Amino acid sequence: MTQTLEKAPAEVVGEFFAAYREQDVPAMADLCTDNADFHYLPVEIWGKQRVVRGDGKIHGIGRVIWSGLITAFPDLTNEVTSLSTAPDGTVAAEVTLSGTQAAPWGVIASKGQRFNLPHLFVLHVNADGLIDNITAYWDNASFYRQLGHAEVD
Amino acid sequence: MSTTGSPGTAASVADDFVIALAGGDLDGAFGAVSPAAEVVIHPTGRSGGPQVAREFFREALAAFPDLMLTVTRRTACGNGRVLVELSLEGTQAADFLGAINQEKHLDLEQAWLFTVSDGLITAITGYWDQNKLYRRLAVKRLDRIAIA
Repeated sequence: MTQTLEKAPAEVVGEFFAAYREQDVPAMADLCTDNADFHYLPVEIWGKQRVVRGDGKIHGIGRVIWSGLITAFPDLTNEVTSLSTAPDGTVAAEVTLSGTQAAPWGVIASKGQRFNLPHLFVLHVNADGLIDNITAYWDNASFYRQLGHAEVD
Repeated sequence: MSTTGSPGTAASVADDFVIALAGGDLDGAFGAVSPAAEVVIHPTGRSGGPQVAREFFREALAAFPDLMLTVTRRTACGNGRVLVELSLEGTQAADFLGAINQEKHLDLEQAWLFTVSDGLITAITGYWDQNKLYRRLAVKRLDRIAIA
């Protein structure tokens, strides 16, 4: 289905990653609906009792993950390498995130290592020009190796 | 999976590729891939021509004889690009990407970006979490992939 849009989806997504480069989490969240869904598929933390996944809401787990990454990687930045937009407002964004670890990230102690990692974000922009869904793919094995972490957690 | 893209569209070309793969038909799948196609499979660190993708899927089909591909979302973009998000599932029966066979079940979300031009796939890019794949296959350490 083709949407009639307030703002082009690619423009909204561009603003989102620009806010991410500015490390402005409130601005990132302001580009999303109040109830926007969040799916960071590689996030899967195995505890003794349960598995915590990167599924939930942007204004919940999403903001926590974004803020945590910025704390752990104070020079966190991104480069958008391609944007492909579908008529329904879905945008596939290939984005390379990079940063230098300065604090623990989950179970990964900081060794001061730098990472550079291709991501695929699939975002949906609604007719009001707001993001209502983000799904992300990346390779944690590469991420862990670059940070000097060898355990498959 | 059923073909939903109109015949001859980028979406239908990508659909047909995945349907052929799901049926184990590598020749059928790669019949629609340009010999000059550019392939990047990020989690494996492999890139190059279509043989890179063909070899990856050949290995996957050999390692997981009951391989099942379930498309969870297919998005046709306006620039000839088609995003296919799928679940890859199967039971390991042979070594795969360095992980020795421990007969574990694999379920893995993947995203494949296809670029289609004039009815041929001219680029394939794959994304997934290799750490999750290793976890499912009971690999303990990234520096000792082949040691159970």
